[in-house]
Amino acid sequence: MEENNDQSIVRAVLSGDKEAYGVLVVRHSFAIFRVAFRITGHKADAEDVVQETFIRGYQKLESFESRSKFSTWIYRIAVNYALNLRNKRKPEVAYQIGEDADATQHQVQIADTAANPERLLLSQEIDVLQARAMENLTATERTAFVLRHMEACTTEEIAATLHIAPNAAKQAVFRAVQKLRRDLAPLKVNA
Amino acid sequence: MNHLTEEQLIEHYYGESPQSARIDHHLRECIACSEAYAAVRGDLAAFEPITVPARGALYGEQVWQSIRNLVPVYERKQQGLRHRFNNSKSLGFATAWVALIAVAIFAGRQWENHRGQLQVQTAATRPPTMLAVLGDHLGRSERLLVALKHDSGDSTAPVKAEAQNLLADNRLYRESATNSGNPAFAAALEQLERVLVEIANEPDDASPARLAELQKELNTDGLLFEVRVLRSRVRDDQEEEQTGAIRTKGALI
Repeated sequence: MEENNDQSIVRAVLSGDKEAYGVLVVRHSFAIFRVAFRITGHKADAEDVVQETFIRGYQKLESFESRSKFSTWIYRIAVNYALNLRNKRKPEVAYQIGEDADATQHQVQIADTAANPERLLLSQEIDVLQARAMENLTATERTAFVLRHMEACTTEEIAATLHIAPNAAKQAVFRAVQKLRRDLAPLKVNA
Repeated sequence: MNHLTEEQLIEHYYGESPQSARIDHHLRECIACSEAYAAVRGDLAAFEPITVPARGALYGEQVWQSIRNLVPVYERKQQGLRHRFNNSKSLGFATAWVALIAVAIFAGRQWENHRGQLQVQTAATRPPTMLAVLGDHLGRSERLLVALKHDSGDSTAPVKAEAQNLLADNRLYRESATNSGNPAFAAALEQLERVLVEIANEPDDASPARLAELQKELNTDGLLFEVRVLRSRVRDDQEEEQTGAIRTKGALI
């Protein structure tokens, strides 16, 4: 129902009703921000992705085909822009876990939160290690994993979104899970 | 059944294994695989979704207000595109625009020559027909290029068949443009023709990968942009015709 409504709004925008596009922006901003943040890992970058996505969407609106869902179409624009942004930002990331990182290395680098209750400390430790493990993935692996594990996309959907073959999408998820399991193995030892 | 690989276990966890029933059966039988699967499941289940910072209820509205002044009304956007295009390639596309009108007139005459009964039409009714014919050709070409760009991996036969259909018409328009001394427009149609020839002559069982390769080789992205610009101009002209603002063109014919 909402999708039909989206399509009629797209037609209105293409007919010159610019303000109608605002309805689409309001409707889809939260979902775009969510996936953008999960891919980029930065609030400011995610906000940038949301704005740029809707600007690009407006500019490409003529190429939107009404047989597809607007939400899927704009989502793909967002994921690809977020992926490109992450690729550009990647060299700036200061922390990198090396291929041979071990448990001791992780333990040393966790912030000292000794004053907090033990459970909170463990929770923070998990969050920090998970975030660092995610940083260790390539942009494509991270995006594929986010789409698979957190956005519940199928392999076919991931492949279509990233413009890669389904088998390549499956392999990207697989490599991501392998790396995450390897990097988080010390956590199981500590826990 | 051999022991399951980590890849199979991960695939099974996400419910995408093509042999789900067999794997379930094997996991009940094999202790080693069952333990490995429990470890995978435990690791992935522990990997919680990244917590997303909360956005206020007015977030969407704020986004819209932040971009509202950056996007023009859609008709103006097309004019803006034209203006930008003219700035970058002013001479070539000014020529192309003149050529487009000339080719449209020529194509319309050709079309009418094949249909004697249409000769009784008044001069004022010709341009919409001509423009519609050319607009339809450019529209179909655009759809073909878009299909080529976003190939879904399905059969390539429909794309090939459409390229064959478009080829004859495109030759007519290209020759018309050449004969009427409009090299810029003729060049655009010539490039389109090269793409159409390549696609039309691909074997019946051409793979989607081969079409993707063709797309890169022939720079169809650039061509798609040119076709869209030309088509938008034809559409603009049609709209002007519909509002009666182009009666003078009918008089010129």
